[in-house]
Amino acid sequence: MTRKFGLLSFITGCVSLAALVVIYAPLLTVWVFSFWKPIRVEGSLRLADFSWDSYQKLTENSEILETLRLTLTVGAISTVLAIVLSLVFSLFYWRTRGIARKAMQAIILLPFLLPPIIVGLSLLISFNEIYVRRGVLTIIIGHTVLVIPVVYKIVLNRLESINESYIQASFDLGASKFQTLVYVVIPQLGLAVTSGALLSFAISFDETLVTVFLSGSSSTLPIRLWSMMRLGFVPEINALASSIVCVAALATLLFWLVKKQVEARPRV
Amino acid sequence: MRNSKRTDKWALWAVSTLCLGIPAVFILVPILAFVLNSLWHNDAGQLVKRLTLENYVAFFTDEDMRKVYFRTVFLCLSATVTNLVVGYICALYIYRQKVGSRLVLILIFTLPLFTSYIIKMYAIRGILGHRGVINELLIAAHVIQEPITAFIFSQSAIFLTLVVLYLPFSVLPIYLAMERIPENLRLASDDLGGKESHELKHIIFPLSLNGVVVAAVFTFVMTFGDFVTPQMVGGIDGYTFGRIVYSQFGVALNWPLGSALAVILLATSVVVALLSSLLLKLGVSR
Amino acid sequence: MQTPQELLKLDNICKSYGQTPVLKNINLSVYGNEFLTILGPSGSGKTTILKILAGFEEATQGVVLLNGQDISDMPINRRPFNTVFQDYALFPHMSVRKNVGYGLIVRGVGRAQREKRVDEVIETVGLTGFGKRLPAELSGGQRQRVALARAIICQPRIILLDEPLAALDVALRGQMCKFLKGMQRRLDIAFVFITHDQQEAIAMSDRIVVMRDGEIEQIGTPESLYAEPQTRFVAEFFGENNLLDGVVHSGDGTWAEVEVETDMGYLTCKSNNTATAVGARVAVAVRPENIDLLEDASRGYACKIEDIQYSGATYIVELSLQKASQIKLKCRLHGSRLPPALGVGDIVGVTWAPGSAVVIGKRDA
Repeated sequence: MTRKFGLLSFITGCVSLAALVVIYAPLLTVWVFSFWKPIRVEGSLRLADFSWDSYQKLTENSEILETLRLTLTVGAISTVLAIVLSLVFSLFYWRTRGIARKAMQAIILLPFLLPPIIVGLSLLISFNEIYVRRGVLTIIIGHTVLVIPVVYKIVLNRLESINESYIQASFDLGASKFQTLVYVVIPQLGLAVTSGALLSFAISFDETLVTVFLSGSSSTLPIRLWSMMRLGFVPEINALASSIVCVAALATLLFWLVKKQVEARPRV
Repeated sequence: MRNSKRTDKWALWAVSTLCLGIPAVFILVPILAFVLNSLWHNDAGQLVKRLTLENYVAFFTDEDMRKVYFRTVFLCLSATVTNLVVGYICALYIYRQKVGSRLVLILIFTLPLFTSYIIKMYAIRGILGHRGVINELLIAAHVIQEPITAFIFSQSAIFLTLVVLYLPFSVLPIYLAMERIPENLRLASDDLGGKESHELKHIIFPLSLNGVVVAAVFTFVMTFGDFVTPQMVGGIDGYTFGRIVYSQFGVALNWPLGSALAVILLATSVVVALLSSLLLKLGVSR
Repeated sequence: MQTPQELLKLDNICKSYGQTPVLKNINLSVYGNEFLTILGPSGSGKTTILKILAGFEEATQGVVLLNGQDISDMPINRRPFNTVFQDYALFPHMSVRKNVGYGLIVRGVGRAQREKRVDEVIETVGLTGFGKRLPAELSGGQRQRVALARAIICQPRIILLDEPLAALDVALRGQMCKFLKGMQRRLDIAFVFITHDQQEAIAMSDRIVVMRDGEIEQIGTPESLYAEPQTRFVAEFFGENNLLDGVVHSGDGTWAEVEVETDMGYLTCKSNNTATAVGARVAVAVRPENIDLLEDASRGYACKIEDIQYSGATYIVELSLQKASQIKLKCRLHGSRLPPALGVGDIVGVTWAPGSAVVIGKRDA
């Protein structure tokens, strides 16, 4: 089909390019500044020479590293919890009928649909009512609640695409429900669970709006960054920020790759 | 299909309780608690657990609060509309490329979604500030002598930041809706002699509208509930409704009021979502 | 061969989905080692019968008896039947060996013994050497053999086959028919085979159950169904048939000759156990290959040739009765039997042996 390079293409192209520049500008400047430190020379902005300085200082900043460790831990635990629970929930939805499964799904998807401030507030108020102090535990719970809908949906989609005749065949050959689950169903969930885990980790790593309500004295990287932003300029911020962006971008890329793998598989 | 009977009923009950119970406890109950909280009130710093509507009354009677509320609605609507227009054009551009390029392009556009929100904010502040990149460039190019202060710590700063932050959120749903348009419709239009503008007006636009609605709802709900952006780039001038809600849980320490305002925030989001889907249904049936 | 025992019985099975009846009063027996085909167009309920047998569905009424015992409530995985599915349902993430051995895995059979059995069965279906492959790497015919292997490894009493040849191309189908029939003889167990294709049914079956609209039309051997159809539907389902309407004039009801009055006058026909009371409205069926054409029109029923189609081995001649041209007949002749110098428009005499005409007295006659 002939795609004429007319006025429409030109306009849409220009706008898109401008949009991309605008979207990426913030990230690019942060990245640039992490290598070429911005310094004040006679009241105007100049760039210092290229150096790995900021990154080096970063690795020496034990506080930052501690926060990173916490963030990774929270991410890992939330992801694992989310996977386990999502498996149970999605299997339940897949094999039952009736009101129970619909109610369950509606509730599960709520944190995804509601504005983050609402989710954060609800959890904050509830923890307060039962005298649970804000800290790592509350952050993990918050992240898990946020991430479950994502993993749940991914796994459920995969489950619903499993041909019913596989299940019938398994029963027919003498397997119990449990055996069918272990031998036939779960092995087919590998990629779904992996991509769910990746996405889940990326979301948790970057989560800010809800985490701020659930943080006690120590917190995750995004929250730390926020307070650093408010308190003042620390040279390592740019390095830190660039590193976070890289990690999140990598996780996302992996997720897309895995997703393509899933879709490219031959269906028997 | 029945497979092993007697233990079934038992097991089913146990699993049902688990599957309904856990979400209820961790999601539903907190939300109910939060709504309940909005019906209590604060008496000189102490939480009084008696039901009252005074927080809601406070909102409806306080003129300043109403002003901020409507200003925020207007701000978020503007940001949404801007993002819809720009987002639509970008989605259209991607859609008109070859299939292979499309995938790469949509990836490029949505990658920032998964990169840190706070970082983008920090960077934007750096770019827009008094001594930020834009001002420095403009001064260096001798366009202006003094740095422009209007870029930062103002309502327009919030507007700009919201647009930049949430643009990918509107490109994606619109693009996905376009992607679902069957290719043979475009071929038919071409075959019947339709020009590009016809195709756009009669085929692509109507069929991508539900993506537009999704994008609109998404963008509005997220911008309306955003309380970090106004704080970071809004300065003294930058009070939005979301920020007021948040501050009740900070220094102001008036949780019931904050909850009530949050309920109003939620209600606003729900109304917008419902209106949009209604609009969509009306538009479709036309 | 010893007299086969009745193995399975469907006793008055009815099935409805909500208000819609899908099976009505099905009474059917399956014998120990027969190849039984359930044949019918789509929507006739044949697949539903299979589902009820296997346990995937429950009958609304009636029972399923295995050696006299009621197994209607028996869960799927306890029934001694295994199914070959229409889409084969081979587990995509398992190799051929694992697929075939699945039935033994879930029964906890020890590894050594399992491997041995798997080897045997794979050899039986002729797939030696394919053990490590994944289903995606196999052709349609190969997948089917794996499905069959998987079904026979647990030595079930009956193997149920749900239109297994539907997904194969025509050339392969003939081969697979022979293969399946051979397998059934070799294994000496009952096969219940579901299909809509009458050629498959005729080629492989010991008995055929013809279904229509949820009811059994007729059960019988391929020969009896072909030569002695009991209903109009069966008469026209297998090959082509000429059907003439009429009224019974006289007869004695059993294997005797009955006179039927049609627009052609009185016909002497065989009645095959159908109730043929005098005055009953019936149809007479005559197979096209049993009709002879005579050059002297007076020696048979005078008919005009409307069309002649040559197809190599046969001629198909379409005729209409001279006296009443709305009555049409089809005649199939071997190439050598067409009287020369006959062409379209000629008048010929149509005749057949009395035993070739069969009375159809049941529904819709």
